[in-house]
Amino acid sequence: MVLLPHTYQSAEYAPRLAVRLGASYIASVSSATLDPCGGLHFSRAILQARLRAEVRPKRRLVVATVQIGAFGGHEPVESPERVFEVGRPADVERHREREILGREAAGAGGVDLPGAERIVTAGRGVGGPDEVSVAADLASALDAELGASRPVVDNGWLPREHQVGSSGHIVAPNLYVALGVSGSIQHLMGMSGSRVIVAVNRDPEAPIFSVAHYGIVADLHDVAPALTRLLEARRSG
Amino acid sequence: MRIGVCIKQVPDTDSHLRIADSGREIDDSDLNWVISSCDLCALEEALLLAEAQVSRGEERPELVVFSLGPARVEEALRKALALGADRAVHLADEALQGGDALADGRALAAALAGANCDLVLTGAQSDDLGQAATPAVIAEILGLPYAWLVMAVELDAPRQSARVVRELEGGMNEVLRLDLPAVLAIQAGINKPRFASLRGTLQARGKPLHREDCSGVDAGLVGAAGAGTETESVTLPPAGAGGVVIEGVSAEAAAEELLAHLEREAAL
Ligand SMILES: Cc1cc2nc3c(=O)[nH]c(=O)nc-3n(C[C@H](O)[C@H](O)[C@H](O)COP(=O)(O)OP(=O)(O)OC[C@H]3O[C@@H](n4cnc5c(N)ncnc54)[C@H](O)[C@@H]3O)c2cc1C
Repeated sequence: MVLLPHTYQSAEYAPRLAVRLGASYIASVSSATLDPCGGLHFSRAILQARLRAEVRPKRRLVVATVQIGAFGGHEPVESPERVFEVGRPADVERHREREILGREAAGAGGVDLPGAERIVTAGRGVGGPDEVSVAADLASALDAELGASRPVVDNGWLPREHQVGSSGHIVAPNLYVALGVSGSIQHLMGMSGSRVIVAVNRDPEAPIFSVAHYGIVADLHDVAPALTRLLEARRSG
Repeated sequence: MRIGVCIKQVPDTDSHLRIADSGREIDDSDLNWVISSCDLCALEEALLLAEAQVSRGEERPELVVFSLGPARVEEALRKALALGADRAVHLADEALQGGDALADGRALAAALAGANCDLVLTGAQSDDLGQAATPAVIAEILGLPYAWLVMAVELDAPRQSARVVRELEGGMNEVLRLDLPAVLAIQAGINKPRFASLRGTLQARGKPLHREDCSGVDAGLVGAAGAGTETESVTLPPAGAGGVVIEGVSAEAAAEELLAHLEREAAL
């Protein structure tokens, strides 16, 4: 079995490695078990983390990538049985067909999400560019920064610098309020370290509730304005 | 020049998902099927690249869409034709169904090779299984350079190369140059997919949609026989850490209750 972390670098070449080795390929697994007969079984999120699948490799060799953060940190093994030193084999030519020209930052700065004490995030469930204001209003009533899930950014409802998640900001505020966010793995990777997590979602089975300390199963367009009104009334009262 | 676009038909992620009685798959009796979201971005990118070639005074590339799946997949291909693809190839053969990324990638690679594509675009990962593996498998089998999570593409047709920007973690991008032919897996957010016009929908009826039997590929390497994995069960995710759930009360009452909790937690 070949295990690799499911990073943007290794998940790019891992399936190619599986093909080349004639191995089974299983991506972003979050747990693995060995049955009494020596068979391996992996668990992974499917359908945007709304369901889980238990998957069995059918081939003797397996290449699998492991979801970042799925396994808690273990004590490092003091002396691994064998360590292989691998240099670049002399006969491997540098690939000319794919050349790295450089690196660049993906978006502009301006929003201090990583340093924020409180964050209110608008998910796709807010519904559209004009409805992002329900999240923005609650953010200002809470004196919080405004975050966004990726589709909200991809659709142009908020600029890229608001994005929370594996391809955006990794945040761990004191309070994180997710409005209409389903709770995909990539989003959770960016915020599950927050101290107090609140989720408002009308789907009681939304995966965000698995990390939320407080979950409100309701329409965010009712609850968020009610929260904003209450906070404003307290502030002025 | 010819651009191949692979699209996958998946259950609409907004539809209610039920686990089938077998416990091994989702119940597909009343699902809404759509083109996976990144695949729509891949098709849009192909349309934009074709338009850019034309505006540079070069010949418009031919856009061919490919999809593997049962009869319902024809609807996804018709939609792609309505959006502007020139022709569609349906990998409908019974022997090709029931595969995983390895098997599907092999079948698609055979069809793409047969069509002689200079560039292959796919979505970065499907909305259903989300393994992000099929495009890499296609690239490996065809021996082509590959990039995942592509956020920008510029073609240099005379030099047979493409300049590509791809995402890395934490808000960084990598700029690459790839020789053509190449396989690019397009990430959501690269563009905003257009909607089909009525004219496009009418024109699509006259465009060729052809069923490919993939007779050239080894039957043991595709479909269920060629799959490297087997799904043993599908379940609901384990319940959460036991957070407080506020449900079935008015919005005002929910807001009051939440703020009381947050005050106690010193989160305000
Ligand atoms: C390589 C890669 C990197 C990615 N990086 C990121 C990332 O950094 N950050 C990120 O967020 N995503 C990222 N994604 C995308 C991720 O997979 C999900 O698609 C995304 O997080 C979903 O966003 P969402 O929860 O806002 O939308 P959806 O999944 O569509 O969820 C919307 C939710 O809103 C709820 N809802 C709808 N209407 C209402 C209403 N009126 N009231 C209450 N609830 C409502 C629905 O029940 C649903 O749960 C990445 C994907 C890939 C492949």
